[in-house]
Amino acid sequence: MSGAGSSPGGGVRPDVARPEGVRDRWKTPGGLAFRRQFTDRLASGFSYAATTVSVLALASIVWTLLSRGLPGLTLLTFTHMTASPGQEGGLANAIAGSLFQTAAAIALGAPLGLMCGIYLADYGQGKLASTVRFVSDMLLSAPSILIGLFVYQTIVAPIGHFSGFAGAIALAILALPIVVRTTEDMLRLVPVSMREAGIALGASKWRVILFICLRAAKTGVMTGILLAVARVAGETAPLLFTSLGNSGWSFSPAEPMASLPVTIYQYAGSAFTDWAQMAWTGALLITLGVLAINILVRTGFGRNGT
Amino acid sequence: MTASPALSGLPGGLSLPQNETHRPMISVRNLDFYYGEHKALRNISLNFPERCVTGMIGPSGCGKSTLLRVLNRMYDLYPGQRATGEVLFDDRNVISPDIDLNRLRARIGMVFQKPTPFPMSIYDNIAFGVKLHETLSRSEMNDRVEDVLRRVALWNEVKDRLHASATAMSGGQQQRLCIARTIATKPEVILLDEPTSALDPVSTARIEELLDELKKEFTIAIVTHNMQQAARCADQVAFFYLGELVEVDSTDVIFTAPREARTQDYITGRFG
Repeated sequence: MSGAGSSPGGGVRPDVARPEGVRDRWKTPGGLAFRRQFTDRLASGFSYAATTVSVLALASIVWTLLSRGLPGLTLLTFTHMTASPGQEGGLANAIAGSLFQTAAAIALGAPLGLMCGIYLADYGQGKLASTVRFVSDMLLSAPSILIGLFVYQTIVAPIGHFSGFAGAIALAILALPIVVRTTEDMLRLVPVSMREAGIALGASKWRVILFICLRAAKTGVMTGILLAVARVAGETAPLLFTSLGNSGWSFSPAEPMASLPVTIYQYAGSAFTDWAQMAWTGALLITLGVLAINILVRTGFGRNGT
Repeated sequence: MTASPALSGLPGGLSLPQNETHRPMISVRNLDFYYGEHKALRNISLNFPERCVTGMIGPSGCGKSTLLRVLNRMYDLYPGQRATGEVLFDDRNVISPDIDLNRLRARIGMVFQKPTPFPMSIYDNIAFGVKLHETLSRSEMNDRVEDVLRRVALWNEVKDRLHASATAMSGGQQQRLCIARTIATKPEVILLDEPTSALDPVSTARIEELLDELKKEFTIAIVTHNMQQAARCADQVAFFYLGELVEVDSTDVIFTAPREARTQDYITGRFG
């Protein structure tokens, strides 16, 4: 770690005497050596400290979740529905609701985002394309509660009740810009020569994009979709105004639907110890889920990624 | 330069038979080409004789690659590029707007400077192009794949891993696969844009041998920066300079007794 050049005396031959008065040019002159070593150590020290702080924060979160959440994690968590305080309950409806809403959001948002990304990378030119790109990037950083309110205004209020479907749409709007951006970026990484080679064989543009470019960008595009899953799976705010939550099963996406993040939100502040316990367990589940997706992205796709 | 010692002893290009047995496959007439406002080709007229190799030489930016990309309308991908004049191929003007580009490109294939294997198996790389233009049964497709791989001398190297990814092959193998992929669609003309400039001398030699085989069946146009390559492979050579066609003649004439001083200067390495 310390600068190799600043350590004096390396590789000195004892049998060769340096003549008097000739400067040893292997030595860094004056106080430079000390100053360099000091700056080097200082910078390294700061980097290590910063890394330690962030890793400790993450470790502390995981540790707290594990120690508080694990005791509540039983088979009942997956088989029973949320119950009133004092009764035996689980998180089955919240887990199912989260799975459904996330899956529906990706089923809606990913194809749309994919097509939009293709448009931006391969077809879009001029003002329209740059506007679409700008709006998509705005959406990427829009506060998620605004998305929730937007869907409340446009879907929940006109229909008159909360629904899992509205929740899925809100999540889809959140997933959309992530998929758009990664798809466009990954398609742009495909070399022009690959497109030209496809065209030179007599393939039409859409065929080249679909069967050559998308295939070449596959790992990157899949990574983008999985990152979108990880992002929307943990969202609470947009669901508060759309799917609301449900203490029982939602037999139809048109009914209010439970979800893990909303259940955590409702239970975490509760005075009942068994509800608080349930919130910890739910938080653990959702963290493990997101963690699993990230590990999948890194190991499964990351290795041969572009 | 990149010629292997084994090849430098080979005789120069065969002299082009200027008789009627080699009718022009493509006839370029008074072609101008523009990149936006910039005029990149000026009044080019050039025949590409059937079943002959036409070598196109000249310093960078002289327009030789541009001409190649006119022949299969590659420039159509980029707005702002346009051509005027005539490029006659099978009684049609290739640069007229009503040409079916996909058919044109099936009949005039192209191989690029860098090998461009598609991210799929060796087999699928070849089948992809074939499927665009023909409907073959499984066994017909197998035969086609084997046939073209044999013709580019790749069959013995890859026959046991046809379904392995094409991107794992060496650069020279990839380039031969790209040639196989191109001839699999049964074109009449093959355009090669510096096909060996990214390859080592041994791979280069194999591609050059391959050209000698291919010209028995196809009309070939090759852009090259390698003078020896032009001398070895081409039957006629066209020298381009600053967007103009300075001189075109049989390879022997160009390399031994060019009419133009500029050609003489270029092939003797005085500029470019």
